[in-house]
Amino acid sequence: MTAVVRADAPEKTPARDELAKSGVSERVVTYLPDNSLRRGYLSVFGDIARELSRTHWLTYQLFKRDVVSFYKQSLLGAFWIVFVPLVTLGTFVLLKGSGVVAVGKLDAPYSVFAVLGVAVWQLFSQGLVAGANSLVLGGDLITRINFSKKSLVIASMGRSVVSFFVLVLLSLTLIVGHALAGWQYQPPAGVLLVPLALLPMLLLTLGLSFYLALLNGIVRDIGTMLSMLVTFLMLLTPVLYDKPEPGGVATWSARALASLTEYNPLYYLVSAPRDLVLRGSISELSGFLASSAFALAVFVVGIVGFHLTETRIAERI
Amino acid sequence: MDERLAISLEGVCKKYCKSLRRSMLYGLEDFGRNAVGLRTRSEQLRPDEFWAVDDVSFDVERGGSVGLIGPNGSGKTTLLKMINGIFWPDRGKVSIRGKVGALIAVGAGFHPLLTGRENIYINGAILGMSKTEVDRQFDAIVDFADIGEFLDTPVKHYSSGMFVRLGFGVAVHAEPDVMLVDEVLAVGDHGFQVKCFKKMGELRERGTTFVIVSHNMHAIASFCDWVALLNHGKFERYDNAYEGLKQYAKLFASSDDAAIERLVSAGKYIEFRDVELGNRELSPGQDFTATLPFHATRDYEDAELDVAIFDARDPGVHYQATNRAYGKKLDFARGDGKLVIRVKDIRIAASFGRIVFAIWSKNRTEQLFWWRIPLEFQPVEAATGKNFLPLEFEVVA
Repeated sequence: MTAVVRADAPEKTPARDELAKSGVSERVVTYLPDNSLRRGYLSVFGDIARELSRTHWLTYQLFKRDVVSFYKQSLLGAFWIVFVPLVTLGTFVLLKGSGVVAVGKLDAPYSVFAVLGVAVWQLFSQGLVAGANSLVLGGDLITRINFSKKSLVIASMGRSVVSFFVLVLLSLTLIVGHALAGWQYQPPAGVLLVPLALLPMLLLTLGLSFYLALLNGIVRDIGTMLSMLVTFLMLLTPVLYDKPEPGGVATWSARALASLTEYNPLYYLVSAPRDLVLRGSISELSGFLASSAFALAVFVVGIVGFHLTETRIAERI
Repeated sequence: MDERLAISLEGVCKKYCKSLRRSMLYGLEDFGRNAVGLRTRSEQLRPDEFWAVDDVSFDVERGGSVGLIGPNGSGKTTLLKMINGIFWPDRGKVSIRGKVGALIAVGAGFHPLLTGRENIYINGAILGMSKTEVDRQFDAIVDFADIGEFLDTPVKHYSSGMFVRLGFGVAVHAEPDVMLVDEVLAVGDHGFQVKCFKKMGELRERGTTFVIVSHNMHAIASFCDWVALLNHGKFERYDNAYEGLKQYAKLFASSDDAAIERLVSAGKYIEFRDVELGNRELSPGQDFTATLPFHATRDYEDAELDVAIFDARDPGVHYQATNRAYGKKLDFARGDGKLVIRVKDIRIAASFGRIVFAIWSKNRTEQLFWWRIPLEFQPVEAATGKNFLPLEFEVVA
């Protein structure tokens, strides 16, 4: 080991040399226009993976901030999560009872079927709306502090995930209640696969959120449009009713809805976890797998696109 | 980048768009191009765009401090945000060594409903600290912020002072290698400001590099090695901070003859001509003299003279008085004469100002003269502030 001591070295040098030796913070960061593009598409994946692993604590903190602050100044707290689905459910029960809508042939009590559906659906709907608004709501931070904006989008999923668990508790209560009232139900082994079956829905929501968050950052129309769009989508997707049968005595509108459902990835992503709970297996596996592949593609395109363009959001938001 | 440098800017430019509508469209265009892997040709201006920062190049050595000064809208904050990596350059290159921290709008990430304790963790995370780092620095942050018993109170119940102290506390304990400071030194009471400077001194001792934006000239002059003067996106370097401050002051006024406003030079029966103005570049202790020869066709008894000195940078009057404040009656006799006004023993420094002489007839029924004359008050090395007082000090055994 050699030590070079220079007599003319200024007094401060040792401290700085120590700093240099520690090496932890000696990374040189360079900002250039269109930076990511210069280094090629392949490096993007490594960059994204590194960023996500470096910022998982930040993501958790942002998630906590979002969730805790939401329930803190609210007397009824988690009740609100259950409230909206319950009202929607009640309306459907009423419409179904009066014969205005037909929910199809179900192999479970309607309330259990519907709450399970809503639990998965709102992962998408609530997650998407929160995700699309995440950058706009964090705009103040984005223009002042340099931190991972991916964390902001991912953390915004938090509230819908919490809602999901509350709704799962609600459906468990309903299942127990119905079982006590005579419904023959035994949890199938397939229930254990539910977390896996939910993953595509989360990926799809995140992937779309990445794009919508950026677009909403530039033009606010996206956020406005989206709230309307998800309500509309929910009515078009068999969440609260069973998949319409294409055959039979259907009218043209029923046939249209049936073929729309056939190509609606959201339907497969909602019904697969529900099938696992109620039947123990996914009834339309190929549809689910195709939808999952689609979700994965949307996620990859979304996060790569976000990574390439997020550096421009601070100046436009 | 050179081993000794902490910051290197090479021909850095940033453009903004004047129209919100176009800005949205350009934003969509740039996003679209980047998303499919095309360049955005950001080095070209499109309609309604302009360079907010134009070709700025400078290096800052490790452990050095530089002050960014310039009028509002000159691009200081934009430049700071580019060093921070919030904005990316549209042309040129920004290189930074090590972790960047910012004292910009401290407490920006605080959530009002969450407690001080919760916000310390969240803010620490946003500022790039790890959980262990926050754990390790937690007590020091609380101690620095001096919030004591309010640690578990939602920050919305904090006084604005506590809020800022907590934000500042987290930011300085993030232990950055490069610290960007934007106008935050203006907040908080004096006791807290002293504490901040003490802490900044400690960071400097550790080798932290500083880039400071402030309108507090004393802070800039005393803390920075050199200053960068920005004006309309352009930049000039002054190795002597005081010289930079002087040039900065010059942006606000010019003392050339054309800038003298001669609104009124005569009344109905009196005319002032061939006005002579003494040296208008004044150092503390000097006099400013104005000689006003007049020709009157009747007597003006008990006229009134107003003298006012305005600072070019700050609104409001620096000094204002009439001849009565000096117990002196002003009479202009018929015929030719001379009014000599002498502002003695000037105590203003490092500023641009304008002096107004206004002469009225008795009871202000007629305005006889109104001139506004720019003056340049020279800076004194190692002094800031607008007044330079004669001070005496000695060490007594």
